[in-house]
Parts: sequence; C-alpha cells; structure tokens
Amino acid sequence: MSNVITVCGSLRKASFNRMLANALPALAPAGMTIKASPSIEMPLYNADLQAQGFPPAATALADAIRAADGVIIVTPEYNYSVPGALKNAIDWVSRMTDQPFANKPVCLQSASMGPLGGARMQYHARTIMVFLDAFVFNKPEIFVGAAQTKFDDKTGELKDEATRTIIKQQLEGFEKFIERHKQHKA
Amino acid sequence: MANSLNIVTICGSLRKDSYNASLARLLPSLAPSDMIITAAPGYASFPHFNQDLPVPADVMTLCDALRAADGVIIVAPEYGWTIPGALKNALDWVSKTKDQPFKDKPVALQSASVGPLGGSRMQYHMRQTLASIDALVFIKPEVQIAFAKDKFDAQTVALKDQPTIDLVKQQLDAFGAFVRRVKV
Repeated sequence: MSNVITVCGSLRKASFNRMLANALPALAPAGMTIKASPSIEMPLYNADLQAQGFPPAATALADAIRAADGVIIVTPEYNYSVPGALKNAIDWVSRMTDQPFANKPVCLQSASMGPLGGARMQYHARTIMVFLDAFVFNKPEIFVGAAQTKFDDKTGELKDEATRTIIKQQLEGFEKFIERHKQHKA
Repeated sequence: MANSLNIVTICGSLRKDSYNASLARLLPSLAPSDMIITAAPGYASFPHFNQDLPVPADVMTLCDALRAADGVIIVAPEYGWTIPGALKNALDWVSKTKDQPFKDKPVALQSASVGPLGGSRMQYHMRQTLASIDALVFIKPEVQIAFAKDKFDAQTVALKDQPTIDLVKQQLDAFGAFVRRVKV
C-alpha cells in the first residue's frame, strides 16, 4: 500500500506530460494510489525572500512530498535539461529544514515530441536528486518519444499500448521499491 | 574604442549580497581596453515559462540586449548541483523567441560557490543547455571560484583574492579574442 504523488513540470494546458501524469492512476498496481501534487508555481527563488519566510506554495508542495510514500516527477525536457519553473520549485524546497526529498523514493517519467523522450532532462534530474538525497528508482525508465503519436489529441488519453505496458511495469517496480524502503525504515 | 566589444552579463542569483552578483559587477573594471561590459536587463519579473502565455515584454527586452551584444557572460551560482531555476526559466523563455538570441552567440561562464567545486556541476549542465540553443561557448580558462567565503570580503562582498582576479582577467582577455574570431 502506498500513496504516491505526481509532480508535473509543465504548466501548459495541453501538455503531453500532464496527459502522462493523468494516465498513471489507472495504470497503477493494486494498493498504489496516485494523486497530483500541489502546484509548482511559486516566486523565483531569492535567498533574501527566503529570509522573510517560505512562500505558501513552497510549503504546500513540501508538505505533500513529506506526506507521500513516493514521488513521480513527470516533466518535459526544456533546452536539454530540467524546466526552469520545476527547478525553481526544487530550489525552494531544497532549502527547508526537514528537506522533503531526503530519503524519499522518487521515480522519473518524461514525454517529448523528439526521439529521446526527455532523456537528457532525466539524467540532469538524477544529478539533482543526489544533491537532495532522494532514492531514485532505476529501471525500467520511461521516455515517451514521439509523444504526438501516442496520445489521443481529442481526449488526451495515452493510447499507445507498448507505452502503457512499460509504465505498468515501472509502477509495479516502483511499488516494490517503496515497500522495500519502508521495511528498511521500520 | 571605436570597435569595442559590447559584452553583457547575466547573473544567476537574485539575492543582494550574492558572490556571483558581486563578481558580475566587478567585470567591467577587469575587462581589456577594447571590451565594454554591462549588465543585461533582469529576468526577476519573468513568469514561469508556459507555452500558453504570450512572450512577456520583459523577455523581449532581454532578448534585444542579447541580440545587440557581441558576447554574453553568465555568472551564476550552482543550486542543487545544477542551474538555478530562476535563471533556467529565463533561458526557457529566451529559447522560444523568434530570431533566438543565443544562436551563434559567444558565451563565457563564471561561477562562485562556498564549496570546493566552485559551481562546476552547474557549468557543465549549462554547457549542455547552451548547446541546445546553439550558443558558441568559450572553453578555457574556466572561472570556477571555490571556497568563495575566503575570496570575497565579508563586509563588502568584493572579490579580494588576487590569483582569482588574475584568472578572471585572463578569461576576459581570451574571451575577447574568441569573440573576435567567431564574430560574423
């Protein structure tokens, strides 16, 4: 039994990554519930602002991450790396005492219209997760390339069967990863 | 000088007493005689990048300054072993504009950090991002100022370490030559 949240790195309405995040609850194994995290939109990080207190949006996101058994980051690749808006949210929560990603199981997914499916972003995200002391799930990796061919452009539904299958495999693996981590903690 | 190089700096930190902001402010005084260095317009007002939004006027202002410049120096801290989100958000906006300003633009990198690596992990991620926007990134010498606490004045935040000052000067000299070599 695990409660997992998705953090989506795209803010646009018709985002393939949001469609991907929306597809996850139905693909999750029994016992895993998946919900969307609070918004990643918060002021641009500035240590002088932090001195006046964390923005409510940063606190809300951090609380949701702390309360979750695991986090799935579903995000596009911007300029061969992590979107600035998502990185900004990470910059805020990384400064907190009781830093929410510490020892947290984290899993990565990305979709892009190109052939690499966001891989360059994911390996930068893995570097960041080392800094944050998160436990990042290894394999299978989810890189949804040529995303425009894999989602229904009317309903936003993930329709590509091979992609659905590998996501199910990842979520099953992630569920075991979370359970193993919980037993270790107990 | 009649054909001076016009170079702009982009600082990756928004806080007032930032080592990196101090370093960026120092550069005009260390530049070779044929190089004029000024700060690029800021990005602190940029909204979070969202393809559904029109390009904000402040983004266009920064883009205009970048297009008009012969070269760009990015001076940024490392946050979470990579590029600060606020700076990356600015690059995400700029990258989506027409006549994308970083294309074929000479860019040099500098960073300062209190740790032993001087922001180098940020710089190597930045090189990857700059490849995506087709910038011409200057190679060596690299300016990665480690243990910044010992090298900047605790009161004024001014860079006081002479070997570091000399290295920055060397980079600016070599960057000037690089800009002239690759200029179209």
